[in-house]
Amino acid sequence: MSGASIRFAGVSAHYNGAAASGIDDVDLDVQPGEFIALVGPSGSGKSTLLRTVNRMVRIDRGRIELDGVDTATLDPVIMRRGIGYAIQAVGLFAHMDVAQNIAIVPSLLGWDRARINARVDEMLELVRLDPDRYRHRHPSELSGGEAQRIGVARALAAQPRTLLMDEPFGALDAIVRRTLQRELHEIVQRLGTTTLFVTHDVKEAQRLADRIVVLRAGRIEQAATPADVLARPQSDFVRELFSDE
Amino acid sequence: MTTRARAIAGMTSFCVLPACGARGTIPVGSKNFTESIVIAEIYAQALERAGLRVERRLNLGSTQITMAAMAREQIEIYPEYTGTALISVLHHAPITDPQACYTFVRDAFAREYGIVWLDRSPMNNSQGLATTRAIAARYHLRTLSDLAPVASRLRLATIPEFITRPDGLPGLQRVYGGFHFESVRTYDISLKYEALLQGGADIATAFTTDGAIASNHLVVLDDDKHLWPAYNVAPLVTKAALAREPRIAGTLNAVSPLITTSAARTMNDQVEAHDRDPADVAAVFLKSVV
Amino acid sequence: MSYLLAHPAHVIVLAAAHLALVAVALACAFAIALPTGLALARREGLSRVVLALLGALYTIPSLALLALLVEALGLGPVPIFVALVAYAQFVLVRNVLAGVRGVDPAQRDAAIGMGMSAAQRIVRVELPQAFPVILGGVRVAAVTMIALATLGGYVGAGGLGSLIFMGFTLHHNDEILAGSIAVCTLAIAVDASLRLLERLSRAH
Repeated sequence: MSGASIRFAGVSAHYNGAAASGIDDVDLDVQPGEFIALVGPSGSGKSTLLRTVNRMVRIDRGRIELDGVDTATLDPVIMRRGIGYAIQAVGLFAHMDVAQNIAIVPSLLGWDRARINARVDEMLELVRLDPDRYRHRHPSELSGGEAQRIGVARALAAQPRTLLMDEPFGALDAIVRRTLQRELHEIVQRLGTTTLFVTHDVKEAQRLADRIVVLRAGRIEQAATPADVLARPQSDFVRELFSDE
Repeated sequence: MTTRARAIAGMTSFCVLPACGARGTIPVGSKNFTESIVIAEIYAQALERAGLRVERRLNLGSTQITMAAMAREQIEIYPEYTGTALISVLHHAPITDPQACYTFVRDAFAREYGIVWLDRSPMNNSQGLATTRAIAARYHLRTLSDLAPVASRLRLATIPEFITRPDGLPGLQRVYGGFHFESVRTYDISLKYEALLQGGADIATAFTTDGAIASNHLVVLDDDKHLWPAYNVAPLVTKAALAREPRIAGTLNAVSPLITTSAARTMNDQVEAHDRDPADVAAVFLKSVV
Repeated sequence: MSYLLAHPAHVIVLAAAHLALVAVALACAFAIALPTGLALARREGLSRVVLALLGALYTIPSLALLALLVEALGLGPVPIFVALVAYAQFVLVRNVLAGVRGVDPAQRDAAIGMGMSAAQRIVRVELPQAFPVILGGVRVAAVTMIALATLGGYVGAGGLGSLIFMGFTLHHNDEILAGSIAVCTLAIAVDASLRLLERLSRAH
C-alpha cells in the first residue's frame, strides 16, 4: 500500500487564535511515501502545520490536498480514520486494554472481529511486542517505551496511507529512542506510508527524514534533504540550527 | 391485612389523575388532625360495609387543601365542620344556631361548589371552657352564665390567641358580662390542661371534643347564650360521586347522626393518649352503633 | 421501636414505594442532567451561568417549592416528583461536568484525531472515564432524594413520609420513629451500595 500525496497551498492557520503558534502562507508538496521531518523552535508552528492535515486545526486561508482532493470537501471524521495519528502524550485509552486500543480504528471502520484480532497481533509484532504478553495489558501497566510503541501500532493499525506524528518519542531516554526511531523508519519504508514527523531534535530529523522542513515563526525557512540543509542552508537561522550538532 | 395496613397501602398508591374514582373506588379524604382522620375512617368503613370500594387519602392538610382536592376530584368525600365552612371557606359572619348554620352552608356549597352536605352529626367541636368536676361542684357551674359572675375568684389557663380574638375572652365579656378572671395565664396548646389538672388553674379553654376531656373526666360548661357558633361535622360529597354511586347518601346518613360529642372525645382520646389506630377505633365505634 | 416490630410488612411496603418514587425521579433527573452536562462541557461561560441557576434552585426551601408545585399540579406524587427532579439537577450536572472535563486531554485529542465522531468519543472514551465521578454525583443525589421524598408524605404522595406525618398528626411517636429509622436505613443502604459500585469502577 503506497502513501498519499499531500499538498499545502498558501495555508495559513492560527492555533487557538494565538498568532505565535500559527502558520502563515505555507506551500509544500509531499510525495507519496515521503518521510518529512518538521523542525523548528517551539512556537514555530510545526505542530499546527501537522494538525491542519487531519483538520484538528482549522485553516484560515489556502487549501490542503490529499491525493489531489481538497480536504475541506471531505467529512473530517471519515477522513481521520484514514490518517494515522500519534501524539507525544500517546493518549492510550486508560479504560481499555492494549488490544482494544490498537483495534480502535479498525473497529470504527467496521472490520469483523477475526480480522481485527489478527491485525492486533500483527501490529504488536510489528512494534516488537509479544502479543501474548501485551494483548490484555492495561496502559497503566506499560513503560514509557512500551506505551509509545503501542501508540505507533494504534496509529498504523488500519493501514493508513498517511501518518502524522507529533514528537512521539519525546519523553523517552536516548537508547530506547534510537531503537524506536530505527524501527519506525523501517516500518514506514516497508509500508510506503507518507509520514509527517514533528520533532525539536534535529539529529533525529536528520536520521529519519527524506526531507527536512524548517519552520520559523509560522513560515517555512527551507525544505530540503538532510544533506542539502547541512551543505546549503538557505539562511543563518537554518545554518545555526544544524551547526549546533 | 389489618384495616391499618389497607389504609397505608391506600395512601401509597395515590393516583393523581382526577376521576380516578371512576375506576370503581371512591377516594375518601381527611384533614390533618386526629378527629378528621377518625371520622373519615368511620365514613370509609361504613361505605365498605355497604359493599363499596374505598381508597383512603388521609392526613392531607388544611381546609384549603381538602377543598382544592375536592375540586380536582382527587378526593370525593371528606368530613367538614359547619362553622369552618362558614367562616373559613365562605368568609361569612358566624351563625350560632346550629341548624341555621348547616342550612346556610349546605345551600351555598351546592350552589357554588357542586358539593353536597349530607346529614350532620350532633357532635360539636367548638371552643369552650372546661373545669374539673370538683370545681364545678364547689361553685355550682353548669353553664357559662353561671361562671360569669364568679370568674373573679378563679384562675384561667388559656392559649395566647384566646385573649385577643374577638370570639375569645373579649367575646365572653361582651355576651355574658363579668368574666374578669382573678388571673389569666397563657400556655402552649398541649399544656393548658396540665395547669388545670395540677391545680395551677381553675378554668381552661378547650376544644369541646378534645380527648383530654374524656380521659380526665373534665366538665365543659354549656354556652347557653350561644357565643360560639356550632362546628358540627358532616360528610361532604361531590355531586359526581353521588350521581355515580347513590348508595353513598343512605350509607353515610345512617352513620353521621350517631357521632356524638362524647363519642368523638372518647375516640380522640383513644388515638392520642392510648396510641390506638384510627382505623381500629373507628371500627369499634361502628360495631357499637350499627 | 414497637411500631416497626408490630408492622414490619407495612413499613416495607411504604419503603418500597418510597424507593420506587426516588428511583424513577433519579432516572428522569439523570436523563436531563447528562445531556445538559455534556452540552456544557466545552462552554465555560455558559456552564457557570447554568450552575449558578441550578445552585439557586437548590437553595429554595423544599417545602416552599413543594407548596407552589401543589398549587399548580395538585396533591399526590407528581409535585414531589417534580421537586425531586429539580433539586437533583445541581449535583448531577456539576458531577457530569467535572467527570467529563476531568478526562485526560491527550486521550480526548487522540480520540478525535483517530476519527471518532462526537457521539463515539463521548460514549467510548469520555463517559467510561467520567463514570466514577458521575456515579459519585448520582450517589449524593440519590441519598438527598431519599430524604427529600419524605416531604411527599405531607402532600399525599405516600412513601415513608406518610408514616412520619401521620405520626405527627396522631401524636404517635412510634410511627414517627419507625418512619425515620426506615428512611435512614434506606439512605445508608443506597449510599453504601453506590459507594461500592464507585470503588469497583475506579479499579481501572
